[in-house]
Amino acid sequence: MKRLISTFALAAGLAVWAAAAVAGPVSNDDILKDATSTGDVLSYGLGPQGQRFSPLAKLTPETVAKLVPAWSFSFGGEKQRGQEAQPLVHDGVMYVTGSYSRLFAVDARTGQKKWQYDHRLPEGIMPCCDVVNRGAAIHGNKVYFTTLDARLVALDKDTGKVVWNKKLADYQAGYSNTAAPLVVEGKVITGNSGGEFGIVGMVEARDAETGELVWQRPMVEGHMGTLNGKESTMTGKLNASWPGDLWKTGGGATWLGGTYDPETRTLFFGTGNPAPWNSHLRPGDNLYTSSTVALNPDTGEIKWHYQTTPHDGWDFDGVNEFVSFDLKKDGQTIKAGAKADRNGFFYVIDRTNGKLLNAAPFVSKITWAKEIDLKTGRPVYIDDNRPADPSGAEKGKPVFAAPAFLGAKNWMPMAYSPQTELFYVPANEWGMDIWNEPITYKKGAAYLGAGFTIKPLYNDYIGALRAMDPKTGKIVWEYKNPAPLWGGVLTTAGNLVFTGTPEGFLKAFDAKTGKEVWKFQTGSGVVGCPITWEMDGEQYVAVASGWGGAVPLWGGDVAKLVKDINQGGSLWVFKLPKA
Amino acid sequence: MVILARMKLASRRQFLATLGVTTLGAAALAAGPARARPLDEVVQRNRLRVAVYRDFHPFSYREGGALKGIDVDLANTIAERLGVRPDVFEHTAGETVSDDLRVAVWRGSLFGGEPADIMMHIPHSKDFALRNPEAVLFAPYQRELFALVRDPERVPFADPADLPEEPVGVEIDSVPDFYLLGLDGGRLRRHVVHFPDPRAAVEALARGELAAVLAPRSQIEAALGELRARFPVAAVRLPGLMASSWDIGMAARENARDLAYAAGDVVTAMAEDGSLEALFRRHGVTYAPIPVD
Repeated sequence: MKRLISTFALAAGLAVWAAAAVAGPVSNDDILKDATSTGDVLSYGLGPQGQRFSPLAKLTPETVAKLVPAWSFSFGGEKQRGQEAQPLVHDGVMYVTGSYSRLFAVDARTGQKKWQYDHRLPEGIMPCCDVVNRGAAIHGNKVYFTTLDARLVALDKDTGKVVWNKKLADYQAGYSNTAAPLVVEGKVITGNSGGEFGIVGMVEARDAETGELVWQRPMVEGHMGTLNGKESTMTGKLNASWPGDLWKTGGGATWLGGTYDPETRTLFFGTGNPAPWNSHLRPGDNLYTSSTVALNPDTGEIKWHYQTTPHDGWDFDGVNEFVSFDLKKDGQTIKAGAKADRNGFFYVIDRTNGKLLNAAPFVSKITWAKEIDLKTGRPVYIDDNRPADPSGAEKGKPVFAAPAFLGAKNWMPMAYSPQTELFYVPANEWGMDIWNEPITYKKGAAYLGAGFTIKPLYNDYIGALRAMDPKTGKIVWEYKNPAPLWGGVLTTAGNLVFTGTPEGFLKAFDAKTGKEVWKFQTGSGVVGCPITWEMDGEQYVAVASGWGGAVPLWGGDVAKLVKDINQGGSLWVFKLPKA
Repeated sequence: MVILARMKLASRRQFLATLGVTTLGAAALAAGPARARPLDEVVQRNRLRVAVYRDFHPFSYREGGALKGIDVDLANTIAERLGVRPDVFEHTAGETVSDDLRVAVWRGSLFGGEPADIMMHIPHSKDFALRNPEAVLFAPYQRELFALVRDPERVPFADPADLPEEPVGVEIDSVPDFYLLGLDGGRLRRHVVHFPDPRAAVEALARGELAAVLAPRSQIEAALGELRARFPVAAVRLPGLMASSWDIGMAARENARDLAYAAGDVVTAMAEDGSLEALFRRHGVTYAPIPVD
């Protein structure tokens, strides 16, 4: 069907093509093949495994100098805040989300807008960070995205008309949603976010056609899951790693969404930090917070979990993406996965059973743990560096902790190249002073909070794009960036790595050496995720530009570094013209 | 402009002194003529926009669709005495009150909507004012403190440190929550029961599910109502914690001092003529005035 339409388009010319453009539906097979198909980008992560690798090789360190802008598209309005999205491309149409829960469909050849959906946001939303969105999903004739008022919206991909619109959670209780949904075998899978007063992490699957709930899996032990409207099984074992009734409000939000491995038919979702923030009040591992949890996509049953920060007391979260890859070591191929955690360690895990294979630091300073014990899979804590108990004797003693709570790596996804067999990790080198405030206030009442100041570790850079060898845990090369890195990474078979910087550049590096080989100033900070695809025999690259996200809100000293960056809101598309 | 004409220099000083930011205030007064005059704007528009917390019994809450409560009544009275129409709206609490000030008072919401001229129920302390220079804090109208309400048959003494190992209710993620979870190395940890707000905890106490509830006194009193005869309420100190009591006032934008003085004068007058106490009493809450130094 797809081929027929494009043949027709070539024969009849572009104008006719545009008029007759009824793009074909996206099948489950199309999504599963997304990592190898070069003419489209159908999933967040360029394939459900999330490797962000494209087999395209026309662009190379040699030819990239000829990469030029093809068009630019403004998200418009006054709503120019952080643009963290990864665009999708299907049948010559680009689908990209913007800040404030907006979704745009744009002609991928011309940059002409086809339609725009502005989600009507109610008053009284309190997102924790910025009003970002990380991207859409596509399946059948629908595009899906989640909104700041915690809804999942399905739109007709050709007209932008709402097909259905489902409530995921109550925005009045502080819930929100910013992650790209995942479509697996006809189900839309989403996480949850926000609701700091008593949230429990949740993964939910809905029928992609109707939006009806299929299963729910809470991420904190003691809670019941559901399947087809009935209770299924309990997550973990009640009170096994939580005291009292704290599990009821235990945290573990799945705010960054998940990835899927078709080979093992497994979903991987990362979970946020436990509540309350004072770890001394909740002795135990607090499962399954700050973990990666592997799930059966049919039922939502948990296959295994790996907890990166047991008994998290630093707000590290464990939400970072788990990227499936084949680890070739000692003549063997192991079905592995990797995760660069907020806590500063890069983990390589057997994705069939959750067993730790290797863990190594990907930042220069980690104060909370000496190492990860490869035998037990658990961190070797440095107890003196755990933030103090505010109700204990030592009040207000500041602890210097690295990484800072914004993480050695935050939300921005890394990339893996099966060609170089390296991961490309967008890292940040910062720490924080953290202390117990004798008194703070919440909702008009006295409260015991923690105070913190984020501090760069070095004078000349915070951001560091690092090539990690998963076999050895060694850093092969690094690129240092003055401002913190906050955008996703893309790698290609042409031996290139792309990422954006808050200083406004989209940059390309030699994937083997880390040599910077190309850059383009987009006019505002780049915190989006670049993509590449092929159209009419030419290789294209696209990235959203628009400064924002959590850094300018919480940066401490770091905020000074980025205060002069102008806001923006646009999509930049580049191509390598035919010779 | 009757109010302005009636405003006494003495009362201005009193408010500034309460805050302990006399020099800041003087600087703002000196810079006054060059700035916008928020009080003039309020009078011109004939509308005082006031932020109150959403779902915050007994201060601001919905009952049968109508917005009610101590803070709502006080906001309405201020508007009435300023001779303008009240425009009270609900604000969803953020992670800290500083977030609330940013969103509801000085910067505004990222989603648009007009910020408040005045926000109710803002903690009133010098430290907190210094940490939030974008807002002016004024007119403290209630001293808040923690109280223990107990089933006297299960808990003989009103001493939180001496609570028996029986279910005790708290509002989730609050000072009483942290205090009891941490007490004596976690002696009561298995017995702390978490509720979305103090009212829900008091309801569970009334049903016999709890032995006691530790929460702000005004919220306990209002939730108890007639049940006060059965369940004694006592103000308590939480030993080892700095935060056993705090004062509640209002906030406006830093450049809105003239509005703050005018609204503050209304509150002073209400405290003097007894109408503030009567207002609290109507809602079943003990009025605890801020002691004058």
